[in-house]
Amino acid sequence: MDRKIFLNEKDMPKQWYNIQADLPNPLPPPLNPATGQPITPDMLAPVFPMNLIEQEVSRERWIDIPEEVLEKYLIWRPTPLYRAYSLEKYLKTPARIYFKNEGVSPPGSHKPNTAIAQAYYNKVFGIKRMATETGAGQWGSALAFACNQFGLECKVYMVRVSYNQKPYRRILMETWGAKCVPSPSPDTKAGRKFLEQNPEHPGSLGISISEAIEDAVTSKDTRYSLGSVLNHVLLHQTIIGLEAQKQLAMIGEYPDIVVGCAGGGSNFSGLFLPFVRDKIHGKKIKIVACEPASCPTLTKGHYVYDFGDTAETTPLLPMYSLGHGFVPAPIHAGGLRYHGMAPIVSRLLMDGLIEARAYTQLETFAAGITFAGTEGFIPAPETNHAIQCVIEEAKKAKEEGKEKVILMNWSGHGIIDLAAYDAYISGKLEDYVLPDEEIQRLLKDLEKFPKPK
Amino acid sequence: MKRGGGIPLFYTHAMTIYCHQLGIIVEFSYCISMNDGLPCRNSIGCYKERTDIVAILREKFTDEELRKAFSDTPKSRIERIIESIKNEE
Repeated sequence: MDRKIFLNEKDMPKQWYNIQADLPNPLPPPLNPATGQPITPDMLAPVFPMNLIEQEVSRERWIDIPEEVLEKYLIWRPTPLYRAYSLEKYLKTPARIYFKNEGVSPPGSHKPNTAIAQAYYNKVFGIKRMATETGAGQWGSALAFACNQFGLECKVYMVRVSYNQKPYRRILMETWGAKCVPSPSPDTKAGRKFLEQNPEHPGSLGISISEAIEDAVTSKDTRYSLGSVLNHVLLHQTIIGLEAQKQLAMIGEYPDIVVGCAGGGSNFSGLFLPFVRDKIHGKKIKIVACEPASCPTLTKGHYVYDFGDTAETTPLLPMYSLGHGFVPAPIHAGGLRYHGMAPIVSRLLMDGLIEARAYTQLETFAAGITFAGTEGFIPAPETNHAIQCVIEEAKKAKEEGKEKVILMNWSGHGIIDLAAYDAYISGKLEDYVLPDEEIQRLLKDLEKFPKPK
Repeated sequence: MKRGGGIPLFYTHAMTIYCHQLGIIVEFSYCISMNDGLPCRNSIGCYKERTDIVAILREKFTDEELRKAFSDTPKSRIERIIESIKNEE
């Protein structure tokens, strides 16, 4: 059997799948804490074009992928589905392991699946320019690539300390024509405030977000862009799972287990949402979200309305949460840093359609090294969480003597994140698991808030 | 904010960490000042295995400053977006 399963370009899916049409329990809307009422689309209009806001709230099951987006997707899509023969052999497992390689995109991850779509929708809405923030640079480089493809200007506010110390992502952005500035910058009111306090201010992700949104709200023909969490972002990512379904069908396979790493939920959702539809309609399939043990939002959190701050001025979003006072331990996966999960993922977990597991950073980096040593590709640090779960399931299949089919989203490569591997190899990483009693204490903060019905 | 406070110099020069948010190595001094002069909310989790970070923070910051730095829930992106829109309005 072939090691790589290719889908012909003409067979690439022409529609995205919207899980909101099939959710057994509809997604509760985010609430305005000031009024307790749902946030309305017009509240988001200053930062997102209305065509994307419409997708955010859409209940249509299938949404056509515009021809212009399909053309851009063809630069790297359909992505290959790999049979991980070498990993199987190393593990001596009867399981058949497949991974969807999203690392073949120009920026090296799944991120441009939505960046391309967002750039397109902004362009047809009349937007000339997009603004965003970036920490490690993955999302910034994906949006820079997408804007370049559609002839849009792109402004990326990159946290200054990262801008200075991690030049390769910045160079990627600039190569694709984006203007990447260190944040805080003199270009915004928010940035100037911090620079007045300290001209050498090193910046933070929070400052960069404020700058990007201020830019979008105050600049002509400009909108903001976000690479995870939101419903329309997850929608655009479903092309991953839809392709995988076709590729597996070509070889007569169907997964027993679907695995992905879950930070904000976009790459995991991209793979599993089409399969969870099958599960809703009766297929027996296990779907596993993998997260860091140091930030166990899905595995140990509760489904509650969570206030964003003590001043109670931010919206109430229904999601699994660890509550007030939660302090994430150090993790080395840039994509896995969200306090809360995408509401769709939280809902499906609450409904028992998916499960979640947490892994420590040492075991995930060990898994990444194993993968690099067998399949050759060096995974992005966050992808290692999914790989660890695959290894765990493959070993279990060996113990049970079962020929299970395991499918994983290999969400990106780690070539520009080698510092994390260097830290692991040189023994500088430490494990940290939030104790149960500490989590219980934090969750008590949330008991006074209403739970979604 | 207390100045000096008996903090040994090596805390601000020798201790570095790989920041999961930024994907780079940062100095301890960044971690305890990046939040508008206050500590990063992740700093306790990041350093608790390596040093008595709580004692250091208590020595350097007032209770009020620590409450301001750590009592909030980390904001999600969507929360920050709505908050920023309101600020601009």
